[in-house]
Amino acid sequence: MPTKKFQKEMNSGTASLVLLSVLSQSEDPMYGYQIGKMLNKNRDIALRMKQGALYPVLRSLEKNALLSSQVEPSVSGPPRRYYQITTEGDETLKEWLEIWQEMKSFVDKTLEGESHV
Amino acid sequence: MYKNVEEYLSALKKELKGVDKATLQDALSDAEEHLQTALAADADSLTAIIEEYGTPAETAQAYAEVEKRTAPALTGSQTKKKSSAIGRFFAIYADPRAWGALFYMLIAFITGIVYFTWAITGVSLSLSLSLFIFGFPVALLFLLSVRGIAWLEGRLVEALLGVRMPRRSLPAPKNIKILERIKELLKDKHTWVSILYMFIQFVLGNIYFIIIVTVFAFSLSGIAIPVLQEFFNIPVVQFSHSDYYLPQWEYPLVILAGILLWTAMMHLIKLVGALHGRYAKAMLVAEQD
Repeated sequence: MPTKKFQKEMNSGTASLVLLSVLSQSEDPMYGYQIGKMLNKNRDIALRMKQGALYPVLRSLEKNALLSSQVEPSVSGPPRRYYQITTEGDETLKEWLEIWQEMKSFVDKTLEGESHV
Repeated sequence: MYKNVEEYLSALKKELKGVDKATLQDALSDAEEHLQTALAADADSLTAIIEEYGTPAETAQAYAEVEKRTAPALTGSQTKKKSSAIGRFFAIYADPRAWGALFYMLIAFITGIVYFTWAITGVSLSLSLSLFIFGFPVALLFLLSVRGIAWLEGRLVEALLGVRMPRRSLPAPKNIKILERIKELLKDKHTWVSILYMFIQFVLGNIYFIIIVTVFAFSLSGIAIPVLQEFFNIPVVQFSHSDYYLPQWEYPLVILAGILLWTAMMHLIKLVGALHGRYAKAMLVAEQD
């Protein structure tokens, strides 16, 4: 199914940006399940990203020092890894947002047919 | 499809064959954390939760893709972090692992004694009292306490040595006779290995403690010699009537030696801590495949 594949690619292409901005907006550190739940709350089931795919992205953002994390025990259930944005992450997010804006307007223009002009 | 989280994890492990070991560890612990949290938080069934999380194949693919994409960026950030050899040598003081290991090894002296005493008392009481009816509850209590101690030690190792000790919730069958329960616990290899761990911990705890205290005292004496000589007039060596003082030009050398010795010791402590963590994991965590 090409449509499903396209959806998956769009999801994975934007995952880093989305996760980084979620954690930049959040005041408290968040754990994976919480983030996944929040992201999928207002989305159509077909468009949803598999939550299992969020975790490797979080890990790789941390490896690149854009996020930091800490494992803490929870009252109910297993210990959770809480993620938090770093200063480097905040700076990187600003750059990414610029790229995103450019990309968005480029795609929009292309879709509207203005790029032919 | 999957009856419990363990089944999902072992399926995921199979799918992840061939990826880097650390990624495998990450993927398994992420999945375990998510599924257990979801189970605890939602009323959803495991099947519904897995539907949201992704099948083992999908999850494995996500990790493999991210790993492939981030590898070059990662090497880039590592070269940036590289600092001088001296800086790295002293960076041990900022390493929570080293302090955790130091703390653990000091605590092991006490826990070792407690475990040893408990194990000796428990084994001998259980054996001798098993001649009588009331010996069985005693044996059962002791065997259960061994499980509890193994779990507690696991928490300690995880908190201080940073080795993940997966918690296997032990199925405690209810409504079975004491004798059956004891038989079951006795047949379980895990019980015996845990008791063995309790004995060995006594020896290791003593060794750790003695070595740490000795090296610490030695390092401290190196650093303290100038102060003791200059301010308190205490000589370095005292034979019956002759005192020997260290010449002043040697002060920087002994201070440096003291600092270097303890810094090297911190590295050693971190290393031994990591080894102990692996050994504890092998001993205390029931095998999983």
